[in-house]
Amino acid sequence: MGREVSESCVDSLLTEIVSTYNNRFYANKPELAARRIEAIGYQVGHQLSERYTMERPRFSDHLEAIKFICKDFWSELFKKQIDNLKTNHRGTFVLQDNRFRWLSRISTDPSVENTESQDPSAAAESKASLATMHVYFPCGIIRGALSNLGIPCAVSADISNLPACSFVVRIKA
Amino acid sequence: MQFFGGSEISPSPPVPTASGNNAHMMYVFNRNGVCLLYREWNRLLHTLNAQQDHKLMFGLLFSLKSLTAKMDPTNAEKGNLGVPQLSGQGCSFHSFRTNTYKLSFMESPSGIKIILVTHPRTGDLRESLKYIYNLYVEYVVKNPLYAPGTPIRSELFNTSLDQYVRTIA
Repeated sequence: MGREVSESCVDSLLTEIVSTYNNRFYANKPELAARRIEAIGYQVGHQLSERYTMERPRFSDHLEAIKFICKDFWSELFKKQIDNLKTNHRGTFVLQDNRFRWLSRISTDPSVENTESQDPSAAAESKASLATMHVYFPCGIIRGALSNLGIPCAVSADISNLPACSFVVRIKA
Repeated sequence: MQFFGGSEISPSPPVPTASGNNAHMMYVFNRNGVCLLYREWNRLLHTLNAQQDHKLMFGLLFSLKSLTAKMDPTNAEKGNLGVPQLSGQGCSFHSFRTNTYKLSFMESPSGIKIILVTHPRTGDLRESLKYIYNLYVEYVVKNPLYAPGTPIRSELFNTSLDQYVRTIA
């Protein structure tokens, strides 16, 4: 439907959003930058879910809506589905993507990891801390999509195992 | 007396086996002469420190490019020598060979220069250098954590580069 944009353009745009908000608009205030980026994601998710649910009937319960996010929504955005969905049946869902497209090229300095001579988990942690800014946008997208479907929630991400990324959705009672 | 021609005076070293890395070393420079990457797999002689070595290499290539363009007997117009050209346009040198190594060179229109030093029996590496440039675009340019113009520090890039260079004949 409609026109297309090259994926490289979108990737570069997202990289630049994070970089600009972090280094120019809210330099030294990473909390504010994170909130702003997440808010942009919220708007985007809101509109995207509107577009992708146009011909569908209303979702019967929370699980159906989350499954929509995992399958159709994720396929439209990232050309693949969520690899693993877990829930505690009390309002918390964990969506795991084993190779999250927007984080698949993040890579850090190999020499730093060698001189550390620690176990690989320490190296993974430092990589995760650098990449945290880049997950606020997709978290916002999920939150916006779900709230447009009538499900207010809070979304956070766990990137201790790049390029796999787990999104934790907590539905507000 | 005849000095030139005839058989080789000093034979070239044997071709390395396929198990080791076939290349000796690699440089990547950007438009301003900043050395973005220097990888060494197989280098015995180190005459200069790293800084001087990079400057020497960059200067050499700059001079070679302008020499080859100026001595081009087929081109009527005077090209613009400071600016990187589109591949195929103008006159650009792509390799030189000695009896012990071959140096292959590629410059992208954005000014990224890739230099690969291999054993002397290597064939034309232009396609390989283009593939390496694609690796650079995928893992360096598109890496959200990379700032353009700074040295490349990417594990993904290093790994895929090592893997690819191992397969170059």
